[in-house]
Amino acid sequence: MTHKLTQGDQILHVDTLARVEGEGGMHIIVREGLVADVELRIFEPPRFFEAFLRGRAWTEPPDITARICGICPVAYQMSSCLAIEDACGVTVPEELRLLRRLLYCGEWIESHALHIYLLHAPDFLGYPGAIEMAADYGAVVERGLRLKKAGNALMTLVGGRAVHPVNVRVGGFYRLPTVQELRDIRPTLELARDEAVETVRLVAGFEFPDLVQPQEYVALRSPHGYPLEGGSVVSSAGRAFKVADFGSHSVEEHVARSNALHSRLDGSKAYVVGPLARYSLNHDQLGPLAREVAHDAGLGDECRNPFQSIVVRAVELVHAADEALSIIDAWDGASAASVDVPPRAGIGHGATEAPRGLLYHRYELAEDGTILDATIIPPTSQNLPSIEADLRAFVQERLELPHDELVRQCEQAIRNYDPCISCATHFLDLTVEEQ
Amino acid sequence: MTRPAIVIGIGNPDRGDDAVGVQVARQVAAERLDVLTLEFDDPSEALDAWASEDTVVVADAIHSGGAPGDIHVVDVVKQKLPVGNWSAGGTHALGLPAVVELARTLDLLPRRLVVVGVEAGQFDHGAPMSEAVLAAVPAAIDAVLNVIDAGQGVS
Repeated sequence: MTHKLTQGDQILHVDTLARVEGEGGMHIIVREGLVADVELRIFEPPRFFEAFLRGRAWTEPPDITARICGICPVAYQMSSCLAIEDACGVTVPEELRLLRRLLYCGEWIESHALHIYLLHAPDFLGYPGAIEMAADYGAVVERGLRLKKAGNALMTLVGGRAVHPVNVRVGGFYRLPTVQELRDIRPTLELARDEAVETVRLVAGFEFPDLVQPQEYVALRSPHGYPLEGGSVVSSAGRAFKVADFGSHSVEEHVARSNALHSRLDGSKAYVVGPLARYSLNHDQLGPLAREVAHDAGLGDECRNPFQSIVVRAVELVHAADEALSIIDAWDGASAASVDVPPRAGIGHGATEAPRGLLYHRYELAEDGTILDATIIPPTSQNLPSIEADLRAFVQERLELPHDELVRQCEQAIRNYDPCISCATHFLDLTVEEQ
Repeated sequence: MTRPAIVIGIGNPDRGDDAVGVQVARQVAAERLDVLTLEFDDPSEALDAWASEDTVVVADAIHSGGAPGDIHVVDVVKQKLPVGNWSAGGTHALGLPAVVELARTLDLLPRRLVVVGVEAGQFDHGAPMSEAVLAAVPAAIDAVLNVIDAGQGVS
């Protein structure tokens, strides 16, 4: 198809080829050569889980919410643990916080490697997908698979298994890894760190379309280093507030076209969470090696081109592997696996940095620990208004492109966010309907 | 004694008919102690599990427009998976067909890889499996066991 969008008024309807028909899609309306509207329609599972959680015990959210996502279950477990512990007035000891951080490093390595190598790199290298890319770049794809496997191995060791870890509980873990077990995984992580550095070098050489995000960036900031397993909220506009106040700053709105809620700051402003926000607000917290490779890759103190998110993810890959090794080297195994978290009536809040951005949980508990209410705000719903804004600006400058090429570039632009859309590769099936 | 096969159930057990792959794997595990069974809802996890294996059977839900409960048995070493929506890990992941083809390209397929797909009717969060799919589970288990037993006779 070579139809161009400048040929009169157009409606571009972009269905998904997702696992379940009609889960999401993109709709762009062009009138007289100007992009009039962009609507992203995305199915969002957390909404259903909030209802499941009501009436369940305070100990259950880590296991229940891990089921929301097969790629980032640790994020859901960590945010839910923090929120429940906050409601119960408990803070886990430093050793358990570090072990949570270690588990989270495994998830970042697994998720970032999957996204960089198998989902996003093919866009930049001119392939329709990882399969076609593997035919020419077999060694590169195998490196991505090794990195992903290293992340899985770390998640399996600390979390009990890689998908939906079973070793996490409110208050800590069921079993701690031994010092020897952690030492045994060291060579795997050393190789992962080296290959993560190679990853930065690879992706830094890609060509990046011009696009600058004007939106406010929001991320956690932590006294314990680059944000992962907790912190307070900061923004590029100078906001700084506690996680407990998140709900009063980030307001969810129902959008008729989608069953996903859209989040806006103070109810009006689109904002961005995820690697670019984390990096821009916390680059000084990166480890020395990650800082060095970020500098070598040409990243400054702030990165506002969403297409360069692949470079920031690669830098975070280096940081996660490097930090995992540091935690392992300092681990002496002298800790209880968990602390008691007796229930009490109250409200608790928790936020951590999922691979694709800030993930917020809020629980209201009855005196016996029964969950009365639950709120989960995932990164993708926070990013939805910004994805639409990116596409609006991006498409406007590319209306002359042939239809198929525009679709390809729109897919690439959406993948910058690594969003929770079923079947994130090749999900746009575009038809053009003239008004 | 070497195990005759591994069986991988793919799907989210809390999402309606998507649970069928995991249910089949669990019931095979109960019947065949000599078979290693694994559960994933991200198909790319299967890649690590199967690369060094001889015979692998993957049980998964498929949504291709057929009648719920219909069973598809595909030897994917010999042919590609039929068109349809197979497991995509739920979100931002590679689907089962992509994982199979990636493994083929990188020479990471096991010697035998058979996919037993059960046509699904719904993937609602928190819903149980539909009656038609539940009724198809015994036949799907038989299909998996047939592949395993046939494999044992092959040198």
